[in-house]
Amino acid sequence: MSEQHSREAPHLTCVECQRSLQEYLDGGLEKPESMRVFLHVRDCTDCAEELGRIEQLVALLESLPEREPPAEFDARILASVPYDSYRAMAGLRRARVPVFLEEESLPAWMRARAVRYAGTAIAVVAVAARLTGLLPDTAVTTVVAAAGLVPGAAYALQGMARRLVLALGQSGERA
Amino acid sequence: MFDRRADLKLIRRCKLGEEAAFQEVLTRYRAAIYNLCWRMTRNDEDARDLAQEVFIKVFTLLDRYDEQYAFSSWLFRIATNHCIDHLRRQRLRMLSLERDGGSDDEEAEMQIPADGPQPDVVMQRREALEKLEEVIADLPPHYRVITLLRHDQQLSYEEIAETLQLPLGTVKARIHRARNMIQQILAARKYEI
Repeated sequence: MSEQHSREAPHLTCVECQRSLQEYLDGGLEKPESMRVFLHVRDCTDCAEELGRIEQLVALLESLPEREPPAEFDARILASVPYDSYRAMAGLRRARVPVFLEEESLPAWMRARAVRYAGTAIAVVAVAARLTGLLPDTAVTTVVAAAGLVPGAAYALQGMARRLVLALGQSGERA
Repeated sequence: MFDRRADLKLIRRCKLGEEAAFQEVLTRYRAAIYNLCWRMTRNDEDARDLAQEVFIKVFTLLDRYDEQYAFSSWLFRIATNHCIDHLRRQRLRMLSLERDGGSDDEEAEMQIPADGPQPDVVMQRREALEKLEEVIADLPPHYRVITLLRHDQQLSYEEIAETLQLPLGTVKARIHRARNMIQQILAARKYEI
């Protein structure tokens, strides 16, 4: 373990650094943590060597040769699928919504509760500040208020549309 | 890595009994599942049988697939469980025939054979890959599977957590430990890659 790094990067020990190397390589660390690892590795020969070893191993692991399944592979599988059962059951299935109305079709950040609530709060504050005269009536105020509402509004509208489609589908089945 | 929305559309077509949709799912995942099974067993026949059994199970149980998770996670979960069950059964058979041995449990002690090629042997890339495959095959099954999902299938930590139904922290710790095991085995066998 080199001593050089302990003076220049006192907040990250070699043990901590080596524990983070894999996530560092995968880009899974937050930016400040990633920077700490980068600085530590830059100044620590041991950790730099360990990083090199991991990089080499990962590169090799990710280049393992792909094997082709044998020629007759698909036939046995496809012969066993109960197509008729699926067709018979299709009419009995619950009404489905289009994929674009599934919650997952919105980006994860837009679905995040914190983002939606924060956006709505920003919009409310911007409108309130505008109405009370704390902020001028500029295009920037309007854009901020509108942008803040986007995640919450998109999430709510998608939910309403999904419920509507499901309700229509169920009433159609009953009819 | 896999397209979640496209998979969902495809699975819904499968549930309507569309033959082409099943073929498409197979085309999309056959190599991934076959390679996972092959690297778990390192045997052509076992890999073929296991991979076929995985698809047959998945295609007959599509109604049990919960659409809030990625289809690929469900498929890989069934495949990994099937492979691990197979290895357990195989080990039990071996034990009854031969001698006692360790458990294939994730915390099992690893046996690291010390024999190997001479350190000064210059290895070609192909040989290095073969040796690496051999080392991966000697990892305990739970570490083997997580290594393959991460590096061979290139799933993200989150996808692996969903596939194996493990906390994210456990996934990171296992990947880290698996890599250390690989390095230990390589060093013990004096393999230079």
